Amino acid sequence: MTDNQSGRLVDTVSRRKFLASSGAMGAVAVAGCSETDSDDTGNGGSEDLSGEVRITGSSTVFPVSDAMAERFMDEYPHVNVTTDSTGSGGGFENHFCPGDSDINGASRPVKDEELSQCDENGVTPIEMQVAGDALTMAVSPENDWVDCMSYDEMAQIWGENGAEMWSDVNSDWPDEPFDLYGPDTTSGTYDWFSENVNGGGHTDQHEGTEDDNIILEALQQNPYAMGYFGFAYYAENEDRVKAVEVKENEGDDCVAPSLDAASEGDYPMARPLFIYPSEEALEREEVRTFVEFYIENTSADWIGSDVGYVPANDDLVQENLDKI
Amino acid sequence: MATADDQAQQWFGADGQVSQLRGAIFRYSCLGATLLALTLVFVFLLYVANDAFQPATASTGWLLTVAATVVLPAVVLAAYFYFRDTRAGEVAYISFGLPIASTLLAGGALIVFNEIVTPHGWFALVAAIGAAYVVIELYVRKRRAVASALEQFAVRVGVPILAIVGIPGFGVDRTISTPLLGQELFHLSVSVPTLVPSLRGLILSLPVLPMDSVALLLSFTLPLAGVAAIRIRRVRETDRDALVAAGAVVAAAGLGLVAAPFVGVSAMTWVVVSTVLVVPIGLYVESVFRNGEGIAGLAFPVVVGTGALLAFVVVETLGFTGPDLWLDWNFLTESHSRTPRDAGIYPALVGSIMILIVVAIMAFPVGLGAAIYLEEYAPNQGLAGKLVELIEINIANLAGVPSVVYGVLGLALFVRGIGLRPGIVIVGGLTIGLLILPIVIVSAQEAIRAVPDSLRQASYGMGATRWQTVRNVVLPRAAPGIFTGTILAFGRAIGETAPLLMIGIAAVVRVSPNSFFGLTGAMPRQIFTWSRLIATDFRYGVLAAGVVTLLVVMLMMNGTAIVLRNKYQRQD
Repeated sequence: MTDNQSGRLVDTVSRRKFLASSGAMGAVAVAGCSETDSDDTGNGGSEDLSGEVRITGSSTVFPVSDAMAERFMDEYPHVNVTTDSTGSGGGFENHFCPGDSDINGASRPVKDEELSQCDENGVTPIEMQVAGDALTMAVSPENDWVDCMSYDEMAQIWGENGAEMWSDVNSDWPDEPFDLYGPDTTSGTYDWFSENVNGGGHTDQHEGTEDDNIILEALQQNPYAMGYFGFAYYAENEDRVKAVEVKENEGDDCVAPSLDAASEGDYPMARPLFIYPSEEALEREEVRTFVEFYIENTSADWIGSDVGYVPANDDLVQENLDKI
Repeated sequence: MATADDQAQQWFGADGQVSQLRGAIFRYSCLGATLLALTLVFVFLLYVANDAFQPATASTGWLLTVAATVVLPAVVLAAYFYFRDTRAGEVAYISFGLPIASTLLAGGALIVFNEIVTPHGWFALVAAIGAAYVVIELYVRKRRAVASALEQFAVRVGVPILAIVGIPGFGVDRTISTPLLGQELFHLSVSVPTLVPSLRGLILSLPVLPMDSVALLLSFTLPLAGVAAIRIRRVRETDRDALVAAGAVVAAAGLGLVAAPFVGVSAMTWVVVSTVLVVPIGLYVESVFRNGEGIAGLAFPVVVGTGALLAFVVVETLGFTGPDLWLDWNFLTESHSRTPRDAGIYPALVGSIMILIVVAIMAFPVGLGAAIYLEEYAPNQGLAGKLVELIEINIANLAGVPSVVYGVLGLALFVRGIGLRPGIVIVGGLTIGLLILPIVIVSAQEAIRAVPDSLRQASYGMGATRWQTVRNVVLPRAAPGIFTGTILAFGRAIGETAPLLMIGIAAVVRVSPNSFFGLTGAMPRQIFTWSRLIATDFRYGVLAAGVVTLLVVMLMMNGTAIVLRNKYQRQD
């Protein structure tokens, strides 16, 4: 009996010990690993440069920034450049101005209220135009009644309290309701389009999405659908949707979206794309090196061929470099 | 059944007939529901797997070769086992699955040693734990009769802490302000240097440490060999066999120090992989031979393996083109790239594993503790009892709150509140930990509640205290349920995306996190990114490969849950 009991006790002791030590081990495994410091801000040497660069912001600028990050990390393998697509406004409001990200991409200039929000948190954005985009208005491939649209017609459709039927805008068009797809309200594309084409407002009757693939799919399914997005998405899907030619005023020539037309200034819906590194982040070696790399590469040919945007010209590159 | 049409015994009614129609309709609609559910899932899996592996892109020669050398023998053998030798069939099933599971596990262990704990860190940790164990063992032998309970407790807790953590220094640099109004009260700035260095730290700071591979051989292979030896000694009851088993494990791993360079892998990889492969497979094969049943089943993995090797040789010599895999070695070991063919999931995989470690450390003890309290200690009568009931209802409801809400909570609590950086491992882990906490609590509660009350009463009747009852009677009986529920919750945790979006896990991260405070990616987040990229190859090929990877990881976890449950149930 006594033997039995002591055996039981030894058993409990060893199990308790095991529990204690395994619990401690678990806790320490965390502590132990966290000691390996990640925040080495690097010092000088090109191969030794390490640290983190966080990019947030526009989903339109995302492909450029991501391509830059990939190329940069080939050269500087120890710098962790992370890219996120949050929308221009979402990026400023939730990530960049609170000081959580180092660079924010934007497909429109920063707004005053965003500047004051940044200012409150001691973040100073520096504007750099890095590329150009030809905003593309697209319709279903089955749409055979529209080839060209003026700003005025688009404003009638996309402006505040926009038309509901195709026939409301032009009596030659079918008597069918619009099915509108566009970017989300947090998107810079949305802001640019409201400001420059609609002359202020924007209809709330459209399906807003950060995912341009949804727009593409909708355009293929409904012949009366219409949507707009960056040129890169159109370039990748030229055979799946039909791009509408655009003219600013009634008397102008219709121009089809293309990178050439955008860079020569013929295409009216060409718009600049920006990145906003913060002055404070630029004090860090890895951010400065990355932004320099970014700017120097904005005039590279692959911006057009690989990403589908209009590269910056040399003057712009120099101007941006001077800002750093 | 017999009574329905047996006219002679009309015990249920005068007319002697009963309609079986309703029963039949009910039965077949249940069957329909089952089939519908299974078909939906199966079609989806087939669709994803087809995108990830693209079998249609393989040449006919390749398909025929594989069918002839791998599929046909496997089917024939499986049919033979099924009709002639069921016991061998079971053995075949396990002995085929075990190497696959072990290989995946070995991959996980390699990720841990490459990214999460360095071999030296692990070596120091194991050495420190070993030293602490020896000290406690000696203490127990010398002092157990005379020492007070408090002293024993202090030693048992204090020695491991000293060995592993030491007494760390700490620094506080914070402005204390009133909670609501935000007025600054005073500025607190204290820093204390390390008081007592830990044994682990001391080992790490030694000028000479063994090479990575040797360190792992000593601290990873040796303990596992010990486990194998103990198991063998228990079942075979001879010390000699135990020594042979341990020796075989160490020899298989140690061979890597010499042979690894010739095979083209690093010595560390060899040590880890061979250990993780040899121990479970060896133990299983031993048990099959010891039981002497269904030994023929062991031929199955050998036949399939030989067939695969043969297929490889034939395909290489005749130059057949294989399928255009998206899910290949490159995909598992590379980071995201803008070129679909070069894109991979490795950093996201590592990130997900690290997030899951934080989730496990956070949610399991807290959830289990809460469940034990609510079931065993909390008052169930009077006003307090009502309050407890209210809390329980709320916990159950919390389990159904949309995950994006937890994302917002995590953002508010850990990023804006505590001031951690967004997008780092610990924030992700804590947020998802919060998310699955209610599930862990509820499932643990259910498991504890399922322990019959008579067991508790019997324990009390023998004079046991409540603590002894919970520890020795309730928890062991509830363990399988608790483990199953928890691991299924972890399975949900690894697939969560919305909270990760909210707390700023970036769309693309190309470097695996190097600490729990480093920026991280996560598999579901990466898959979401791929679903939104322009190139169609990302949205179909790469995405499918990512989904299959995620599913395999989840399958592994659910498999672990089943194994644990079976193990504990058998002990009952």
